[in-house]
Amino acid sequence: MIRLRRRWKRLLAPLAVLGPGLIAANAGNDAGGIATYASAGSEFVYRTLFVMVLVTVALVVVQEMSARLGAVTGSGLVALIREQFPLRLAAFSVVCLMVANVGLVVSEFAGIGAAMELLGVSRWLAVPIAAVGLWALVVFGSYRYAERLFLLLTLVFLAYPIAAVLGHPDWTQVARSTALPHLSFEHGYLLMVVALIGTTITPYMQLYQAAAVVERGGTADDLPAIRADAITGSVFANVISMCIIIATAAAIGGSGPLTSASQAALALEPVVGASATTLFAIGLLGASALAAAVVPLSTSYAVAEAIGAERSVSRRPRDAKVFVGLFTAQIVVGAAVALVPGNLIGLLLNMQVLNGVISPVLLTFILVLAGRRRLMGDHVNRHWFHRLATVCVVTVGVLAAIVTVQALFGG
Amino acid sequence: MKVTTVVSTAVRPMRRRHGRLLALEQVRERLVSVAGLVGRPVALADGREVGRIVDVVVRRGTEQYPAVAGLVVRVGRRKAWVHAEVLGSLESTGARMNSARLDVRDFEPRPDEVALVRDVLDHQLVDVDGIQVVRANDLYLARVVDTERLVGVEVGGRSLLRRLAPSWMRRAPVPERLIDWGAIRSFESGGVQLDRARGDLERLRPADVAHLLEELGRAQRQELLAALGDHLAADALEEMEEDERDQLLRETTPERTAAIVAAMEPDEAVETLREIPADQRSTVLRHLPAPVRERLAPLLDLDPDVAGGMMTSTLVRARASESVREVIGRLAALSDHRDDIDGVLVVDERGVLVDDISLFELLMADGDAPVESLVGEPWPVTVSIDASIDEVVDAVLGNRRSSVVVVDDEGRPEGRILTDDVLDHLVTSPRSARRVGRPT
Repeated sequence: MIRLRRRWKRLLAPLAVLGPGLIAANAGNDAGGIATYASAGSEFVYRTLFVMVLVTVALVVVQEMSARLGAVTGSGLVALIREQFPLRLAAFSVVCLMVANVGLVVSEFAGIGAAMELLGVSRWLAVPIAAVGLWALVVFGSYRYAERLFLLLTLVFLAYPIAAVLGHPDWTQVARSTALPHLSFEHGYLLMVVALIGTTITPYMQLYQAAAVVERGGTADDLPAIRADAITGSVFANVISMCIIIATAAAIGGSGPLTSASQAALALEPVVGASATTLFAIGLLGASALAAAVVPLSTSYAVAEAIGAERSVSRRPRDAKVFVGLFTAQIVVGAAVALVPGNLIGLLLNMQVLNGVISPVLLTFILVLAGRRRLMGDHVNRHWFHRLATVCVVTVGVLAAIVTVQALFGG
Repeated sequence: MKVTTVVSTAVRPMRRRHGRLLALEQVRERLVSVAGLVGRPVALADGREVGRIVDVVVRRGTEQYPAVAGLVVRVGRRKAWVHAEVLGSLESTGARMNSARLDVRDFEPRPDEVALVRDVLDHQLVDVDGIQVVRANDLYLARVVDTERLVGVEVGGRSLLRRLAPSWMRRAPVPERLIDWGAIRSFESGGVQLDRARGDLERLRPADVAHLLEELGRAQRQELLAALGDHLAADALEEMEEDERDQLLRETTPERTAAIVAAMEPDEAVETLREIPADQRSTVLRHLPAPVRERLAPLLDLDPDVAGGMMTSTLVRARASESVREVIGRLAALSDHRDDIDGVLVVDERGVLVDDISLFELLMADGDAPVESLVGEPWPVTVSIDASIDEVVDAVLGNRRSSVVVVDDEGRPEGRILTDDVLDHLVTSPRSARRVGRPT
């Protein structure tokens, strides 16, 4: 029984060589991330780069708080929320988290579909097979091996920084767009900003960051190292993201919203020439498959912990009803929504907007927890840091609110 | 009236369960949900409402079923304290006081009291009977011989749904999966600490304890470990998954780790020590009782024939600026180790050995003089940590000292080898024993 339980948990343990912060932040560069950054480059050229600088600051702040919460308290974010807030607030946060994460699972399966279509396989075939395959790998336990393969495939995306250089972007434009503040309240632009926030500061990443620190046995004594890992991970991830924007902008910038994955693949052409499409598809497949298993897995774990179903996690699949049930439901919903006819890239973007709208809710919980002296002791947010973090969360919240209002009233 | 503990913890499990309060019909019929009490009115004896219940506070202590000490009540914008003495009744619908007026005193948490809603509800607990980690979805009070007590914890999912529903929809709590509080071990980090559970823990099987240790959050896990005897802890650790055990030990103090390792079978002890990162391992080794360390050292591939394998790690270090009196004061506290202490090591700010001062020198010195005044000839005799027995013997014989200091590559003292350690070694080791007869 104990041995089986370890299996679930071990699936979530980050690979030993990589820091939790690096993995957590780079989880943002999944199917949804690629689609969003590519779309930003395609539609707004370099105009979102300054936003990405702000998003990087916010990401660093948020990931640092999550890592610190994990290290100091030794428990996962959802369990903490259950213990520290009234039950209704806790339930609200769990529902938000579930919705955001199911959104992510949908986008991962959409990513699998888009990747396979690039390789010439219909998504009607690819998505159901991938769903059943991933489910079986996780539940019957050879997922660990598959994970390494997926991880290897995602290395393709390291080609983006090279592509950003070889694509001969207009560097003065890039520099100006990165350094000079500029904002626009045009609906399409705001929507893109929220999608960028949603895919970069995904609620899932904070959950994962805290859980991975706990799982690694990190404590308050290790805080300097944990903090350094969280910060470098976030910065590295966003440098890659900005490279995706730059590379795509240089290749197809100004051609309007991204409509297909093959368009996004053009950004890699300066590096690999004609095989860009295949390579892009392989990377997208790896990133999507990786997240399509890990996101529902860690969501199930967190929710089981929060509702007091720890026991469920410890049983074999047949008895772990809550855990396996939650996991299965997310995979089924994710795959099903990804099969709804329509534009996959559009679906991907919408799911990131959904995450962006929900993100401020979870961020508020994290902010309050990290600022609570009774919980954090001497590791509570410093005064100036708390202010900075509050500004980040409020800004994200205001943007999410504007987009929601615009969407509701046809703004 | 004070109710004594219903059953002593020494009784065997089967008997205990019969003694549990929730087994009594009259208790089960009068359960009051703590979650349900939140927001309910508190009325004076004449029926006038004075405030709303915020929290229920129980007394920490050795009682199996903690007694309610009072209520935290919101009166206007203040949080007032209503002592159990002035409570006439406590029903699911609210509380009524037995006095006609409320003395508004602000609530201040006291160390011997625990607020149930804030610190126990929704937190992790250990069910010692069912051997599982649970989360308190609700808590139940009942009146037991004139005193309101915490008698049970609800872990069923329906009570969660009931708490989520709007209050007008809420029906009276129906116990679903109720666990007697007598079977619960809860935690300081999550509220109540009940020392009496110690007996309960000791009757668990090591495999069960291992299971609990793996499921609990970090703070609770450390508390559970702290409550375990060294032997049960050692047995439980032996049953744990390797990576979980690593993690647990990383969070544990070297002193405690050493105590647990000392209680393990030698092979398990060696395996456990090997899993500990090298830098922490030496600290743990240092805290092991000397006989255990000597038994384990050879198994750990620490060659017992080198200096590092025979030394004692009990050292007294002093800074040159300290006064002689201060140092003698510290020696007094170490009387347990009197056989291992042969002198005081003066070290600089980097921990590097400056001099080895004999106890005699210290005794003769003026108490107010700085240790610095004693630094000088004779200079210490040192051997490196991997020096062979021959080198150690030569160092001892060549300098006619009663002990030599073992230093690492940087010159920091690691331990001390006394002449009797050398003697032990020569007598028990046949190869070296021959050397004794060798003329020098």
